[in-house]
Amino acid sequence: MRDLYVDFGMINADNVEQLRKINQSCFPLTYADSFYGDMAKNKDEKLCKFAYCNGFAVGAICARVEPMPDRPGRNRIYIMTLGVLAAYRDRGIGSKLVTSVLDHFESEKDGKMSNVDEIMLHVQTSNTDAMKFYGEKFGFERGELVENYYKRIDPPHCYILRKKLR
Amino acid sequence: MISGASTSASASSGGGRSDDHSNGNPQAGQNRPLPKKESDLFKNVVKFYESKQYKKGLKNADAILKRFPNHGETLCMKGLIVNAMASALWGGEGAGNGGSGGGKEPVVDKKKEAVELVKRGLMMDMRSHVCWHVYGLLHRSSHNYAEAIKAYKQALRIDHDNLQILRDMGLLQIQMRDVAGFRETRLRILTLRPNSKVHWLTYAIALHIGGDPSSAASVLDSYMDTVSDDNINCDHNLNSIADFQRIFESSELALYKNMILSDMTTSNDNDKDGLKGIEKALNHLDAIHDIVVDKTGWLSARLSYQLHLGLFDSAEKTAIELFRRGSTEDHRIHGAYMCALLKCDGNTCREVLERSAGTCTLATLRPLSDEERAILINAYFGASTISASTSKTEDNEDSHITCNNNGISDSWGKSVTMLGGLASLFPMSVSIKRIRLTLLPPSSREFKLAIDTYCQQQIIKGVPSLGSDLSSLYLMEIRLKKPQCPSTSGSNNQEYIASEELTMTRYAVAKDPVDVKRNEVYRLLVHLVDSYIESLSCNNTFPDDVTAGELPHAPSTLLWAWYLRASLHEQAGEYSQGISLINKCIDHTPTAVDFYELKGRLLESGGDIQQAADVVDAGRDLDHQDRYINNQATKTLLRAGRIEEASRRISLFTRHEAPVEQNLYDMQCTWYELELADCLKMKGELGRSLRKYMAVIKHYEDFHEDQFDFHNYCIRKVTLRSYCKLLKFEDELWGLPHYCRAAEGVISIHLHLIDNISMSQTDEELDYSEMTPAQRKKAKNMARKKKNAMTSGGGGGDSSGGKDGVSSKNNSESNGNKKKSKPHIIDEDPEGKDLLALDHLQEAMKFAAILVRHAPKRISSWALQYDVSIRRCKMLLAMQALFKMKYIDSDDHRLFSRIVDFSKKMSSRINLGHDAPEQVISSEFPKLVNFLSLPDFVRMVVDRVKADSSSNLSKVIAVLRAMISTKVGSTAEASTLLLESQLNLRGLTLDTCREALALMKSIGSDKQNKDKMIELIISKFPFAKDL
Repeated sequence: MRDLYVDFGMINADNVEQLRKINQSCFPLTYADSFYGDMAKNKDEKLCKFAYCNGFAVGAICARVEPMPDRPGRNRIYIMTLGVLAAYRDRGIGSKLVTSVLDHFESEKDGKMSNVDEIMLHVQTSNTDAMKFYGEKFGFERGELVENYYKRIDPPHCYILRKKLR
Repeated sequence: MISGASTSASASSGGGRSDDHSNGNPQAGQNRPLPKKESDLFKNVVKFYESKQYKKGLKNADAILKRFPNHGETLCMKGLIVNAMASALWGGEGAGNGGSGGGKEPVVDKKKEAVELVKRGLMMDMRSHVCWHVYGLLHRSSHNYAEAIKAYKQALRIDHDNLQILRDMGLLQIQMRDVAGFRETRLRILTLRPNSKVHWLTYAIALHIGGDPSSAASVLDSYMDTVSDDNINCDHNLNSIADFQRIFESSELALYKNMILSDMTTSNDNDKDGLKGIEKALNHLDAIHDIVVDKTGWLSARLSYQLHLGLFDSAEKTAIELFRRGSTEDHRIHGAYMCALLKCDGNTCREVLERSAGTCTLATLRPLSDEERAILINAYFGASTISASTSKTEDNEDSHITCNNNGISDSWGKSVTMLGGLASLFPMSVSIKRIRLTLLPPSSREFKLAIDTYCQQQIIKGVPSLGSDLSSLYLMEIRLKKPQCPSTSGSNNQEYIASEELTMTRYAVAKDPVDVKRNEVYRLLVHLVDSYIESLSCNNTFPDDVTAGELPHAPSTLLWAWYLRASLHEQAGEYSQGISLINKCIDHTPTAVDFYELKGRLLESGGDIQQAADVVDAGRDLDHQDRYINNQATKTLLRAGRIEEASRRISLFTRHEAPVEQNLYDMQCTWYELELADCLKMKGELGRSLRKYMAVIKHYEDFHEDQFDFHNYCIRKVTLRSYCKLLKFEDELWGLPHYCRAAEGVISIHLHLIDNISMSQTDEELDYSEMTPAQRKKAKNMARKKKNAMTSGGGGGDSSGGKDGVSSKNNSESNGNKKKSKPHIIDEDPEGKDLLALDHLQEAMKFAAILVRHAPKRISSWALQYDVSIRRCKMLLAMQALFKMKYIDSDDHRLFSRIVDFSKKMSSRINLGHDAPEQVISSEFPKLVNFLSLPDFVRMVVDRVKADSSSNLSKVIAVLRAMISTKVGSTAEASTLLLESQLNLRGLTLDTCREALALMKSIGSDKQNKDKMIELIISKFPFAKDL
């Protein structure tokens, strides 16, 4: 199928409710209000953004830079959420969102992100589509299993997907 | 005004009066030139006043008054300064007429002091024109223009040729539309100073608006003769802004002259002589061609003249010339072009040119014959679909440019059809594509094809307004009275028989669901969009896809097809179906604000205003920067009676310094105030409601006041045509819909209070009898809560509207002390107690008089005029209102119920029979009831309503009410009639349905019938509650 033309736009306090709508529609779990509160305050439009198609926000990615627990002083990019409304899937929107974050890393590789080593996320063990998406398109590798990561959904376990960036 | 005081002041001190020389006389100071020192001081007073240095001015004035405590002119000037300071303190004019109260007292006192001072000064020196002038200025500052004019006239009797006073007076005269006086004043000014351009222009305008265009034209001619030619004809060296300004001015002046010429037309336009002015104007256009820079204006005028003169071939060319200049999206020009093509008569042309709104053209004004359609289609789209080669178009472009400026090359008219019509000349024009839909007959295959293509394109693009755009294609034929029929009033008692010669067929847009569902275009659309949805959800293509190759479509295509279908459901009053589709849209793309808005509308029309408000508000939450959805949310919340929430919403977009209500008032946010007033009225908070309605009334007074600034400005800038438009607009101000809504609100509240006298005296006891049980319960709860709040915390339960400073206009900039912190504005009457204390009948009468004068075409104006007149026992006036209503719409339910009311009141009165009004009434009234007795008349209308399967529900209710009250029919008959209608009636709203139900209850229908009625209502308004 033909890819859809997509624009990116920032998430801010004025439109964060749209992120909530997208997430509610995409994910089986409900994010806490504090998540949206943080998103409303976020200033990093490179890591957190909407994908607009024909004027409507139809997908969003929210990522952040966080310290790596096992390697002091080194950081990683953590994808908190990536969602595209069901009706708009399989038309390249998710890929464009992930690519745009990876592109951002590339452009800041020796600058702001010089201490970033990898990009990672959690994925529910049953979510083979997502594992395929990240694995085949971007070369993410399946890491360790985290048991009982989720509280209210079944199965509660997840894998870590990660990709070395340097 | 300021320099006026200065000239007059210097005149007075220099001129010297010789009446009284004795210094010893205590009265002396007044009439005698002041000594040198004081005379200088006086000049300073004037200077300081002009430069708004009031404190210094006051100091100087006091210095003079120390030695000459009774010097009249100084006293007056001091008064003027005190007045100006008071206005500045309050932050605007208008403080003098707003009533009195806590926060205003110092200002009011100051104003009083000012009046005292000026009056004393005037008494001391009755023969000083300065004093009279100041007296006039004082009146003017409190908007008492009639008094001000009188004072100016007095001043002029003393000093005949005082230019400043003449000028000030002229301003007031034109503001008050004392046209004759204005003309006289301007003539005097012109005689005094014939070397000023402005004075010539103003005098010409005075003549023109005074209804004497030919004199106005000759005045302009005399002026132009005095101007050297090089002033007019030099567009070669445009070096400075001044040059541009000069060229613009000569252009405007020439076009204004042209406009005057075209107005030199006698009223009877069908008479050839009557068109002489237009002929002259047309010729004049050629003469001024080279100096006019507003080419579009020039061409539009030309087009209109040519049409009126029946020069259709040239009109056609002019229209094409206009299109080529870029007016292809102006439907008015298209209308005129069609008139030219079809050689329409003068009245039709005028109708087309005057109906400038939206997508109206000749094709949507009246039905076209097949022949006419063929001509238009040929002109727009060619006989066949020959696509124009680009080279050919360019050739024509060249030939056009080379042809001389006012002669449009003859090849144009023909080439249009040769090339395949306007459409091929202007392939980018959206309007021409849209016009195609109005030219093809809806039953034709071409129309189906055209509308199919149009819809597909718009759906792919995602145009939310497509539904309402298409709804203007639902045309239905109606018969109208011809405009040239004598627009006589009921008072000359003409029986209006709609005969063939007096009426004409016109199109009206079907809006009521009953009519929409019957409309051919609507049915076609429903069919089309259903097929879209089926095909799109099946294989993501349209049935006959116009976008071959560009596949598959974006997911939003199906989405917008659903949305359009939901809009179509809304138009047909099918709310449940609409909701289920719009829910699909929301599930599909929950981030789109538009969907929540439509869902809210569907819920509102379907009977659940509370949920509607919640939904629109949820949509609003998606985008806090969208002012439109924020306003929609506010409006819906107000309709749901949630005032505080609404106030919080709207405050997101107001400035935060001032209280919200104050800020909205300053911004003249009329729609909000009207909605709030309606809401408050519904809740029975009549005082507060009245206050909001009056706020809107005040805005319109301000709009009227605002024209003051333009009298000088427009003439100085020579924007004379716009100035004439402005004057006309201001004359029609009180007939504008929002004003009418406010005035009707005010009248209805006062009438309500007259009928429920106890209410205004006791603590706003509500009239529960007219309410349904649910409303009654709600209202009682509300009243109880309010009472509790009042006793516990002094009105603390009401925070939203507590600080609206309606009469406190905040116009700080004009007074130059913006930085100073203003005294906190406390609204002295948030509850509108002062307004409630007014004489209700007097107030209602005042506004009804304004409405019938300025909005005589609104049937509601006359209905209210009747309601007021009947309460004043002015039977003749009441009957006149009935005749007026009958002339507007003899079928209206408001007319019918009032005729019945009138008839009953007549029979219950003691008829003496010999005074003239009674005689007129007894001889004329029978015409209103078809010369029948009241019961027979009611019977007749009942039978008529029975025969009409889709009459208006309000009408049915009115008729049934009359039927029961005149004992013409039984309760059973009434119930049957209502139930048998199946509510497939026009004018169906939840409120009218509730009214119908209440009627059934009041006449004692049995439970079974009532239940059936409720069932029927639910079938129409699926979300209705508490029936």
